[in-house]
Amino acid sequence: MSTPVRATRSVQSARRPAPNRSPIGRIPDLLFTLSLIAIAVVFFFPMLWMVFSSFKSNSAIFSTPFALPTEVDFSRWVEAWEIGHIGQYALNSAIVTGASVFGILLFGAAAAFAFSRYRFRGRNLLMGLLALGLLLPLQSYFIAQSTMFTQLAITDTRWALIIPYTAMGLPLAVYLLKVYLDALPDELFEAARIDGASDLRVFGSIALPLLRPGLATVAIFSALSSWNEFLLALLYIQDDALKTIPTGLLAFSSRYVTDYGLLFSALSIVTLPMIVIYIVFNKQIVEGITAGSVK
Amino acid sequence: MTVMRKKTTAAVAVLSASALILSGCAAGAGDSDDSVLRIAMGSPGEAQIRVWDDVAAQFEDANPGVTVEMNYQDDDLYQTIGLPNLLNGRNAPDIYFEWAGARLEQRAADGFAADLTEAVTSGPIAGLFDEEVFTSLTVDGAVVMVPHAADVANVLWYNEDIFADAGLTPPTSWDELLATCDALNAEGVIPIASGNKDLWAAGNWLAHLTSRVVGEEAYSAALSGEADFNTPEWVEAFGYVKDLADHKCVNESANAVDDNEGAQLFFQGKAAMHAIGSWLVSWAIDEAPDLNFDYVNLPSMPGEGNQDSVIGVVTGYVVNAKSSKQDLAAEFLALLNSDENVQAFIGAELTPMALSASAGEDIDSRSAGLIDMLETAPAIVLPPDTGYDLETANALYAALAEVLGGQTSPEDAVAGIDQKLG
Amino acid sequence: MKPNRRVTPYLFLMPAMAVFGFAVLFPVIMTFAYSFTEWNGYGAMTFVGIDNYVRAAGDTIFRDSFTHVLIYIAATILLEVVVGLILAGLVSVKRRGSLWFRVAIFTPVMLPMVVVAVLWAFVYNNDFGLLNAALQNFGLEDLQRVWLGDTSTALLAVSVVSGWVYAGFYMTIFYAAFNQVPAEVIEAARLDGAGEWQLFRRVKVPMIRNAITVALLLCITGGFQGFDLFYVMTNGGPYGATEIPTTYLVKSVFTFGNVGYGSAMAVVLTAVVVGLGLIFTRVNREKPEGARR
Repeated sequence: MSTPVRATRSVQSARRPAPNRSPIGRIPDLLFTLSLIAIAVVFFFPMLWMVFSSFKSNSAIFSTPFALPTEVDFSRWVEAWEIGHIGQYALNSAIVTGASVFGILLFGAAAAFAFSRYRFRGRNLLMGLLALGLLLPLQSYFIAQSTMFTQLAITDTRWALIIPYTAMGLPLAVYLLKVYLDALPDELFEAARIDGASDLRVFGSIALPLLRPGLATVAIFSALSSWNEFLLALLYIQDDALKTIPTGLLAFSSRYVTDYGLLFSALSIVTLPMIVIYIVFNKQIVEGITAGSVK
Repeated sequence: MTVMRKKTTAAVAVLSASALILSGCAAGAGDSDDSVLRIAMGSPGEAQIRVWDDVAAQFEDANPGVTVEMNYQDDDLYQTIGLPNLLNGRNAPDIYFEWAGARLEQRAADGFAADLTEAVTSGPIAGLFDEEVFTSLTVDGAVVMVPHAADVANVLWYNEDIFADAGLTPPTSWDELLATCDALNAEGVIPIASGNKDLWAAGNWLAHLTSRVVGEEAYSAALSGEADFNTPEWVEAFGYVKDLADHKCVNESANAVDDNEGAQLFFQGKAAMHAIGSWLVSWAIDEAPDLNFDYVNLPSMPGEGNQDSVIGVVTGYVVNAKSSKQDLAAEFLALLNSDENVQAFIGAELTPMALSASAGEDIDSRSAGLIDMLETAPAIVLPPDTGYDLETANALYAALAEVLGGQTSPEDAVAGIDQKLG
Repeated sequence: MKPNRRVTPYLFLMPAMAVFGFAVLFPVIMTFAYSFTEWNGYGAMTFVGIDNYVRAAGDTIFRDSFTHVLIYIAATILLEVVVGLILAGLVSVKRRGSLWFRVAIFTPVMLPMVVVAVLWAFVYNNDFGLLNAALQNFGLEDLQRVWLGDTSTALLAVSVVSGWVYAGFYMTIFYAAFNQVPAEVIEAARLDGAGEWQLFRRVKVPMIRNAITVALLLCITGGFQGFDLFYVMTNGGPYGATEIPTTYLVKSVFTFGNVGYGSAMAVVLTAVVVGLGLIFTRVNREKPEGARR
């Protein structure tokens, strides 16, 4: 486990342009590139096929599944967007994900700060409880959680997803942020303390800014898992107006079961922005995932 | 310093309070005591959704200040997880779809079904239905459901062109059915399409078959948990299901694809027959307008049961007993069954049970025939999953699927049901 | 650092612990309590002692669901972790232009599972599906199968989809880890005449052992929690061949209303997962010291 500072440095050193004399010769090099392309195509093909099929009629999908569409007509996409509530589902996903990530960052950073900077009674116990959260599977609590949420009338509100998503993201967030905080030199905090800064101030104006890379990592990691969460969304949200993308698409696919062109249009609409987001934020996402799992 | 410290404490307290708000406030947030009328159902398909949305708009026009909120769920989801979650949740529906039978009784027992007796005798719904239909919708002396449609849960649909080309006639006996399967297989056509991934699609059909072999009473007793499945009669009944497997009567993929994919086989002309319920008509007209198809009831079986029995279920809408808008809900159900809206549903290929439906002229002849078949049936068999306990139904369905897929012998399958149900 | 007031650390911790306690710890305890009762979720609750555990021990479906999930995990270790490792190795040989490759491989991770399931239902469909059509085009009719309807292939078919989704995820982890291997080490090995394959096997992989163990832990604990692919693609079928603990739990609790019995199964599952996780982290923690030469 390396500290973030060291990690960045070694990444940089590895990124120095490698000496350009591959032991593999020219022709194998071409073959190598071609095989990479082939692998990429195999991985990407189902998605291409989905987009092509969104321009086709049912009978074309069934009779000539591999053929290119005869025309590219986005009217099905418009139709899917308008009748499919896709915008509503995306908005719900964004709200739920945004609120959960905000909660995870704020509460997680505060808790990590306490664990990293203070020694107090019960510290090990509380840390152990949170660490248990890293191992506890969803199954260990979702049954009672659902009866509890039902009794408290939280189901069918956005809180029914925000609260568990926040709770599920906290253990990893606290753990990661604590690693970052532990790496900061004590003098930084002591100096501020000598200047008379309060605890909250030390947290707000010293710890938080220095934690920024860690927070970004946690944000990406938790956003990915909240965005696609399926089981709790299926159990807790029945109201169509509050459904998130995973369960909303399930509802869509059962409303228009027989119209595969329309279904693929809706699926394409949801998928393409995700691909664009990945290409744009590729670097941050990779760092987020790596730090999230390797630290 | 003290000032600073106080600030810290205050701010941290705000931080923690926000956590408490996160966890606490939702509970207090408003009851569903508002002007929204919530209606929940499994998705009835695109054409009927348009009618429903229109009825909702009419109701909103007639009742200013009231909003109608429709919730169309995935069918299987609604039947299993969806409805119970909705009823126990906040924003519980005021009106919800239900199947008559054990399910309806359970809802009444759990206190989720309002007494509609007054509404149907002297209230807004009076006179819209033949009074006889309410007998099966009465629990403990109270009418608890307003019927909407009667579905024949299963008949054998066949593609008229494929049958004509192969010189076949629709099978009326078990031996004829098996011979038809052989003939169609020789032609390279799938005899019967079925999409049984969720177990009810072939389950309904095969359960009906077994009821004709073991007899309606034995069927009902076993499904109600009053008798064991492991009897020679049930083994015999399952033996006929094995015949289907042996003669390769259904598509190889039957247990891997869902009911929509199964129907596609029939629509695309890859399969000559399709065993499914009356809802296929509306679907086929939308999906495969050029398809020439008709139906026959399940062929007669050697056995105890009535060989002209029909497997069917009345479906309709229940008013939630916990709703504060029961009168409004009754008015909505009256509007739903108004002459005009009944005709609109007929246009969407659903034939409502309201009296005015028979006045309609553009009912599809097949739909009309199915209604007639249900009304004149000498015996009605309830589908296991809507008429009886779901867990029992599921055990039966799973066993039937195993035999249909050639996985298990009839003896083991039947014994397995009792074992599973403990 | 010394807090200004003794209560301060607790105030910082309170929000996180409140949410975590409310939504996770308390329900864990309640699930344990429910496991000794017979309850349908809203009616009367009866205490039944360890009956539910006895029932679980004799429940062949429950037992089989563990076998299935173990097979699934084994398959995904191969299809996700090993494939991801190989892909990362390939990409790290040739860095230029690898972004597009990595985008193509990683994209499935971002897709909602419903999209994945609908797409692959079409790939596997027996009658209209892409896979059987492709096999036919290559003259391999003998290999055609009802992929999701055949008990011998259904579980593997789902695993392959899982591999398609997550291989890119593990590739990303390993790729970043490979980038942290000091360039000098690689150079030295090259000078010693190591080929790319030897470099991969003898230098790079051993140097990212930490990342690999974490990936394995993620894959194993994640595998036990698998649900959405199974739910949408097979829902436990055909003939229960893809019934895993989670799908069975959801059926028991939410479809059939057996909250008590479902809770007991959840407790057993929790014990297994946490136990495995603890063993794994312990072994992992001890190894580096012993293994370091």
